[in-house]
Amino acid sequence: MHELAITAIGADRPGVVAGVTGVLADLEGNLEDTSMTILGGRFAMVLIVAVPDEVGPDEVLGAMAGPAAALGLDVAVHPSDTTSEAQEGDAWSVSVYGADRPGIVNRFAQVLADHEVNITDLTTRVIGGPDRPIYAMLLDVSLPASVSAETVRAALGTAATELGVECSMNAADADIL
Amino acid sequence: MIRPVVMIPDPVLSTPASSVTEFGSATLALAEDLLDTMRASSHSVGIAAPQIGVGLRAFALDITGHKKAQSCHGEFVLFNPEVVTGHGKDVGREGCMSVPDLTGDVARYTSVVVRGFTPDGDERVIDADAFEARALQHELDHLEGKVFLDRVVAHDRVFQRKVYR
Repeated sequence: MHELAITAIGADRPGVVAGVTGVLADLEGNLEDTSMTILGGRFAMVLIVAVPDEVGPDEVLGAMAGPAAALGLDVAVHPSDTTSEAQEGDAWSVSVYGADRPGIVNRFAQVLADHEVNITDLTTRVIGGPDRPIYAMLLDVSLPASVSAETVRAALGTAATELGVECSMNAADADIL
Repeated sequence: MIRPVVMIPDPVLSTPASSVTEFGSATLALAEDLLDTMRASSHSVGIAAPQIGVGLRAFALDITGHKKAQSCHGEFVLFNPEVVTGHGKDVGREGCMSVPDLTGDVARYTSVVVRGFTPDGDERVIDADAFEARALQHELDHLEGKVFLDRVVAHDRVFQRKVYR
């Protein structure tokens, strides 16, 4: 078995997940980690799938063609290596919200990158009505031991002030019960 | 005796546990096993009998020294526990020795009164709040055949325990 990365984006409607995963099941593919959600009215899927060695990206794409056309999906299939190393760190949650304006994600992501903070999950949503859109960003991040949370919090606070948005950072360490 | 910790999807974790009807050497031995196993896992503050493969209503708990603790009853084992009252709601992130790799946000009462029995069969009432209340409710869930994944407040509030591989 080897792993492929598959993305599929298209109209949100019943049957999309069943259609895509049905093709993968027929190929004896095994879904590993996946993320599927509605983004801006479209249904977006990212799947890491283990498939038999003889099944390559082209075979998967070919098998997807029928369902993709029927469901109105744009599908891409890539070879995928798991070369990234796991990083140890403390889990924190960061939330940012404020008036929608370009550059919010980039500014905060750069602050985190400058401090060697790893983003492990990021969701953004435009909420509120079209006349008063509010941008909300929720991040899960991992702080390496070499960086103090207070240093990161202060840098995020500076960015928030500059952009005129609210930012909070809370420990997200889970308790093993 | 330290017992192996059972992992999902073992049926013992999804089956409601049975009440203990007789107190004596068997309950004392089970209590010792729960305590030994809990003490052996330094990162855990509690363990329920189903987690060591025993489908009986019992758990061990010890939140001593936890930074989120307010009430603290030290180390104890409770048989046939039941919630008498529960108040307040708070969401906190939980993990479980029986659910590898994942954590999830779970809403729990912020204070609970739990009544049960000691390994000797004496009634004991625990009035707990904050982290001890959360831990009690997590262990009580195990006795109902539920793990925290059955209680997460939203599907997207389930997380990898550490970072992505």
